[in-house]
Amino acid sequence: MTVVKAAASHQLYDELVAIVGQERVNDNPVIISAYSKDACHLEAERPGIVVMPNSVEEVQKIVKLCAKTKSPIMPSGGRNGICGACLPRVPNAVMLDMVNMKKLVKLDEDVMTVTVESGMRWAELIHILDNHGYKLGFRGPYGGNAATIAGSVSINSMGYAASKFGPAPEGVVSLEVVLPSGEIVRTGSAWNKDAQVFTRYSSFADLTGIFLGDHGTLGVKTKLTLKIYPNAPFSSYIDLGFTNLEDAAIAFLEIQKRGLTEELNCLLARESADTYFPGLLDSHPGINATIHSVIMETDQQLAERKVQIIREIGQELKGKDLGNFAAQIHWAEKFNEVQPMYNNGFWLNTCHLRPIVRLPELMKRMRTIFKKYNLEKNGIKWIADALAVDRAYTAAWVTIFAPTRDKMELAEKAWNEMLDAAIETGGCPYWNGLLWENRTLEKVEENFIQLYRTLKNAIDPDNIMAPNVFEGGY
Amino acid sequence: MAKVNFPNLEPFKDELWLCGRCGDCSLADKIVASDRGVNHPCGVKNVLGFETYSAKGRIMVINDILDGNLEINQDIVDLAYACNICKNCQETCMATADGIRIPDMMEALRKDLVANGFSVQKHEEIENSIINEFNPYKETKDFRLKVFGDREFPEKAEVVYFTGCTSSYREKEIAVTTVELLSKIGINYTVLPDERCCGSILLRLGREKIFGDLTKHNIESIKRTGAKMVVTACAGCYRTWKIDVIEAGYKYDFQVLHITEFLDELISKGVASFELEDRLRVTYHDPCHLGRHSEVYEAPRRVIESIGNVELVEMTTNKRYAHCCGSGGGLKGTYGDLANEVAGNRIREAEETGAEFLLTACPFCFRGLKDGARHIGSDIKVLDLPTFLLDTKISKSMKRVKEEPLKLKFMEYLANHPMIFDGLKKGAIIEYEIEDSRFHIEVTGKREIIANPQRADNPDVELMFSPAAVTTLVTFDSEDKYAEQFGKFFKEPTDLEWIRFNLRLNIVKLLMKGYRKFAQKAGLI
Repeated sequence: MTVVKAAASHQLYDELVAIVGQERVNDNPVIISAYSKDACHLEAERPGIVVMPNSVEEVQKIVKLCAKTKSPIMPSGGRNGICGACLPRVPNAVMLDMVNMKKLVKLDEDVMTVTVESGMRWAELIHILDNHGYKLGFRGPYGGNAATIAGSVSINSMGYAASKFGPAPEGVVSLEVVLPSGEIVRTGSAWNKDAQVFTRYSSFADLTGIFLGDHGTLGVKTKLTLKIYPNAPFSSYIDLGFTNLEDAAIAFLEIQKRGLTEELNCLLARESADTYFPGLLDSHPGINATIHSVIMETDQQLAERKVQIIREIGQELKGKDLGNFAAQIHWAEKFNEVQPMYNNGFWLNTCHLRPIVRLPELMKRMRTIFKKYNLEKNGIKWIADALAVDRAYTAAWVTIFAPTRDKMELAEKAWNEMLDAAIETGGCPYWNGLLWENRTLEKVEENFIQLYRTLKNAIDPDNIMAPNVFEGGY
Repeated sequence: MAKVNFPNLEPFKDELWLCGRCGDCSLADKIVASDRGVNHPCGVKNVLGFETYSAKGRIMVINDILDGNLEINQDIVDLAYACNICKNCQETCMATADGIRIPDMMEALRKDLVANGFSVQKHEEIENSIINEFNPYKETKDFRLKVFGDREFPEKAEVVYFTGCTSSYREKEIAVTTVELLSKIGINYTVLPDERCCGSILLRLGREKIFGDLTKHNIESIKRTGAKMVVTACAGCYRTWKIDVIEAGYKYDFQVLHITEFLDELISKGVASFELEDRLRVTYHDPCHLGRHSEVYEAPRRVIESIGNVELVEMTTNKRYAHCCGSGGGLKGTYGDLANEVAGNRIREAEETGAEFLLTACPFCFRGLKDGARHIGSDIKVLDLPTFLLDTKISKSMKRVKEEPLKLKFMEYLANHPMIFDGLKKGAIIEYEIEDSRFHIEVTGKREIIANPQRADNPDVELMFSPAAVTTLVTFDSEDKYAEQFGKFFKEPTDLEWIRFNLRLNIVKLLMKGYRKFAQKAGLI
């Protein structure tokens, strides 16, 4: 069924209709308008046509058509990322809206993996697994209601439970990818047709890793196999307050090194407390940084003991036990924590990775920028927060909110300096996209990027798959 | 490109800016957000697929329109009218305290399109029919009362049954059964001899020019009956009277109730009770105009739950996040096939409950769902609530619900300690649950509260208590000690004594209602 009719002027319109039917292809500018941005303000080219495939066979046919006609193709997931990664860099691209491909393919309890189609959203999968008594490791980015699993692993997303399980790609065991030629490759132990999909590393080079973080440049992911774990019904929580960020960072690193938490957050700056968690520090005038820990275990005593250890770590650094309300709400409001912040205005983020020990340095630079641009006086609020990842690093979130359109120019000036500061102080973006690409290309070692380009050229000689991504210019 | 003005849409520019394009209005799943039952909110997007049909997509299109990036043409008109105005997207949205008002924006866009000469012929016909015949169906105005046959109505009465055009001319069964029900219960009521369309459909379609005339006429007509109460079984008419008429600046001194609210009152006063002979499982579809638009969720449920031998089972989406039936916002009249698909999806949800009957409380929903069931070949029986009730055994015996003593004790304690709620703004509502027993506290003024033994329609927060926690809490004389122990039960729960809660509103709205102080007093922050 169609309401807004296709313009039917794209050169591949008829052939795409022949593959998926009229209802799932549209090149009308009104339809395209909704695919012109993701959740950030940056823009590239608008797609020429949008197609919604329902199966890997359809994806294969579409990709083969694009390969034959050397037409650009751009896979996209929930399109609520905040770096413009899903936006085409060349005109007239065929955009794949993958959200129809959302089936659970297999829950393999023997080997503790789940295989899903690429358009499955994190929230939906969490729900399905929960009904079976399982959980994922990494649970999805903060926009996990709409973010698809393939989209997240394609751009190295960070988010819930990264503290224990690392970033989105860490949970992947195997991928099914439609290559730019239209051929299909299955990675991990799926190379053996008779084997269960149970490990990423087996017998050959780790081909899975090539496609993780590829921003859609090397193929269209159609299925993913992820690690699962038994549900951990016993939770404990704790909020700790510190008089200065330096002490908080030391405690934060210690907690993280010991691998105590499922989720570990650090508020970096008191000035942003009300944006981060309204009212949190009203009763604690001496507190300038906080840590919020979420522990989930299969044993209650274990969960309680871990909280005790975290409390002890904090207290050794004169940290104050603030209770556990913020940590509990943070976890309960999964996938809905960021949205209320939009009330402060449209956000400009600087999300990137950095060692925990370099958080204070980042904040020093950021505060200088805030002062230089008089952000507070201009009604531009900000939040400074860090999410622990793996053993000793963080996803640092320093984000400003332009309250109205007329403040956007000023906010963007400050924001651009903030992005520079993040890189100059040793930050490495997790995703790239329009947000970071020019800056990362300036820094990247020639041999590194050249190896990627060699691989890209070998897999996609006609450069049809997400062309010009990782090439800069926007 | 021809110059097109958008005086109605332009004022939303600042609000449009606040959309962060998170995509919840399109793809959010039920697990998230403190158990809020969101599940792929946009019924239209769920059928048509492309993101453009969701609120996020529509906001991007509107921004493109206002920025001059899109030409106004029939495609924009098509998109504008392919929306149920059901408000599920706004209810889901957390970007602002009340959610981004996409239904209002769609109506504003429709007004601007009409003003700029972009018209849908069917809509013109509806408007002309209302101008000439005071109903949208091109039916003769003099035949409006024909639905009631030879039944005669008094000139004066305590209650006016405002029938509405759809019940008068199309879903006549609802009009007939409603008056029979009112008569059977013994209500002193009448109907207006010269009722006119309430104007709802005109507002929804962006054609408001005669809305004022219709309203003035109907108010005068009601006044002539001397009634102090108007009851309607149409959710569309109800919303119009409760919201649109007031917003348009008209005043009236009679009370407006939906039939479900009216029956709920009668049941609670012991004036009427209903019973079926055999056990039956039913589910209930919330009409958008009654539920999300007017926040009446519990009255119809209380009525259904009061019927002897009836078990009410909820659909996956219900109350605030109930999927639309597809008939709202002029969608059914404009895109009938699409409306049937939306309704078909809703019917599938109803079938999943295993209910034999799908009840609703609106002629539009009734018709839409019946068509939806036919469209997908479902056997589920769709009925409007008054029609369903008429087939039950009606009597006057009060069905007394035996209240749990602990609930009553807790209610009494809270009512005697209003300082617990100090700082909360008027209108704040907290739902309390002890095991399966519920009540709510409404803040009615500074340090003034009402403890209501019923479930709240749209609480801000739900608090769940273990019985042992309540038993301890009600022993404290001092509100401060209560608050301290309250916080302790939350932070350091034991198997026996615990408190949990769900935030039902987003944190911005909660702060506006004064919950910061409440949380601080409890030592939570």
